[in-house]
Amino acid sequence: MRRVRIAGGTLLAAALFGTTAVAAPPPTDARGWLGEELPLPLAVRTPQDLAVKAAAEKQYLIFNLLAGGKLAWDSGDFATAATKWEALLKVHPLDPDLDKTIRPLATEARSRAAGRFAAEAPAPATPPPPSSSTAPAPVAPPANPTVSVGGSVSGGGPLGPGGAVIWLKRANGETPRPAPARGKVISQRGKMFVPHVLVVPVGTKVAFRNDDPIFHNIFSLSKPNEFDTGLYKQGATYTETFRHPGAVQLLCNIHASMFGFVVVVDTPYYAESDASGAFNIKGVPPGEYELQVWHEAAAKPTVDHLSVGAGGVHGLALRVGGDKRAPQFVPDKSGKPRQSHLGY
Amino acid sequence: MKRSAVAVAALLWGTRAFGQPAPAVPTPEPEAEPEPINDSDGYTPAVEGAGAPSPLSINGYIDVGFAKAQGDGTSFAPNDQSVPADYGVDTFAPAVNSRGDVASTNSNGRFVNGFLPRSVGIGGNASFLLNTLDVDLKYTPASAPLMVFSRVQFLPRFTGNGDDTRVYVEQAFGRLVPFESQEFALAAGKFDSVFGIEYLDNEANIRTGVTPSLVARYTTGQSIGAKLFYRVQIQPLQSAVSLNVSATNSGNFVESLQPPDASLTGEPVGAGRLGYELNTPGIQVKLGASGLIGPRNDQAYQAAHQKTYGFDARVAVAGIYLNAEYVHVDEGEGGPKTTSLGNFPISSTFNARGGYVQLAYALPFSVGALHKLTVYGRYDRRHAWFEGFTPITVDRFTGGVRIDLWEALILKAEYLDNRELAGAPTVANNVFTSSLVYSW
Repeated sequence: MRRVRIAGGTLLAAALFGTTAVAAPPPTDARGWLGEELPLPLAVRTPQDLAVKAAAEKQYLIFNLLAGGKLAWDSGDFATAATKWEALLKVHPLDPDLDKTIRPLATEARSRAAGRFAAEAPAPATPPPPSSSTAPAPVAPPANPTVSVGGSVSGGGPLGPGGAVIWLKRANGETPRPAPARGKVISQRGKMFVPHVLVVPVGTKVAFRNDDPIFHNIFSLSKPNEFDTGLYKQGATYTETFRHPGAVQLLCNIHASMFGFVVVVDTPYYAESDASGAFNIKGVPPGEYELQVWHEAAAKPTVDHLSVGAGGVHGLALRVGGDKRAPQFVPDKSGKPRQSHLGY
Repeated sequence: MKRSAVAVAALLWGTRAFGQPAPAVPTPEPEAEPEPINDSDGYTPAVEGAGAPSPLSINGYIDVGFAKAQGDGTSFAPNDQSVPADYGVDTFAPAVNSRGDVASTNSNGRFVNGFLPRSVGIGGNASFLLNTLDVDLKYTPASAPLMVFSRVQFLPRFTGNGDDTRVYVEQAFGRLVPFESQEFALAAGKFDSVFGIEYLDNEANIRTGVTPSLVARYTTGQSIGAKLFYRVQIQPLQSAVSLNVSATNSGNFVESLQPPDASLTGEPVGAGRLGYELNTPGIQVKLGASGLIGPRNDQAYQAAHQKTYGFDARVAVAGIYLNAEYVHVDEGEGGPKTTSLGNFPISSTFNARGGYVQLAYALPFSVGALHKLTVYGRYDRRHAWFEGFTPITVDRFTGGVRIDLWEALILKAEYLDNRELAGAPTVANNVFTSSLVYSW
């Protein structure tokens, strides 16, 4: 336990934030890090052994929560970072210097997890190098603030502007990978998809729940997100994970009149317009972006360039086409077109 | 971790030597899933009022083509002088468009008895065709489980040698789905046949190829009456069983063979199809058995009956579509008959057996405007006879390609090789035809 023999937490924090040499596993995935397993395999034969083991495990726990939080922060997983650092602050007794260093970072991570700040994962402010075990650790300066992009969509032909999906991708550099959304449900109700249009980030699981007193068989032929639920009855749910970006047309093999959409985006910066066309994208770091708008009535998505300044973008006016009509003949799941006025 | 817990754990693991692998135990604090920055509950348009989709939809298609038939475009052999002329050949062979119209029905002045298809009147001349301008209106009010549908077709015929230009109300009906919990529908008006499966593909913008089968004349007509559809899903088998029955003024013959909509006998014709569906993710199978019975409604003699039965199958797997159908038709002798082509003095006993097998393969790629490319082939065979006349057997090989461009345009081209196998003189009547269909 040489690395964590400690003149307070500052040394440890400095080692973690100042150099990667200490963080043995690559900082790519905060979850499942191998250093989180307790108890430690230390032999206990005497009361002294027990005291040593207990002290070591406490330090080990402190180390893991501290480092695990840092790894989560680095990967943009602010909720996990906040959870780990908040757990660390509950360890008693905790070195006051370490408490002083971590407490603002935990607060910042919790704020970002709530979507109030940046979606990117800039490294937390590097603490100063340790001068002594008693020197106060400076509070980390706040990270770059993020802003919102809002406005209104018009067009959409007879369907109106509601249900437009707007998303931003970085024009320069990589767009952060979005966290999957949770708890997404599309109900089949009254032989309709509710909601009719749903936007989700890649990797999101969507539950298809049959709330009708009849069977449904939901499917999509939209490659590469095609799927087929098979027949399922009232109250049953089928879950599909959407792993690829793109618009996914939802159909029912029994009811040719049913159709809806899941729009899968590979960015954390997205929104869906309400019936009036209004939308708001949160947590956007200032910068240059490619903006895209999808609407079911538009034959092609609207694509534009957008500069986001420190004050965000407000009152953005977007227009989508209305040149694409609802499909006259939706296919069955073999791809064969059906006439909706025939049969049932 | 509390100190006491550490102590207990230490005692439990006290004899382990340092360096042994640590046992797998749960992490000391709960894992938190990351939260997305943005989130959406989705959008659903209002059912009624502002922003709601219109309950009225207007769709349709225009079908233009180019065709060239061998000979004079008919199936009448120049040196065949049998009378009536239409009892000695299959006048329906071969078609040049999706409606089953032939290039010509010109019998060179010899008597025919009304057993004729529609004609575009181009003879043996290579010609561009304006086959059909179709307008569909569908009204589905949000306040009731009701749908009203009409399909009106404009059929411009400019040559003067075939049928006249006309407007044809192919379908006009209302459909009610009275129970939310049942796949049960009632319809009344003029609607598609319930017999067999070819009526499902009866329009140019739906049909895989250009022309209908040799037996479509017996199964794809529209009549006025009422019909009922009921289906039961069988979840453990990923299957369904359906029943489609109708009572109508006329049978399922195409409109050139039917009387003009009214019932000439006053008795309905009953028809039905019992179907089975298998709908697994990998394969779809639809099987059916159909029957029809009632007065032969092209004349007023109630004792002259028509009886038809048939079997059909559709299989779709991995982009391959197999359609097959068999039809068995018997019509009793009646009095003078009336068809939509006019009044004729004889309605002889008539029998026909026939069917087809069609195989289509949709190539698994889509590039730019090219959405789908399908190659298809069909084999048809028909054996038929009038009482007292020589049975006629013909068959036909049809091969073609269909190209789906963007989402609204279809280009089709096919060649029909028609053969008179027995009972009719051999005639050079093969056809090359094509079709460009734009849907809106």
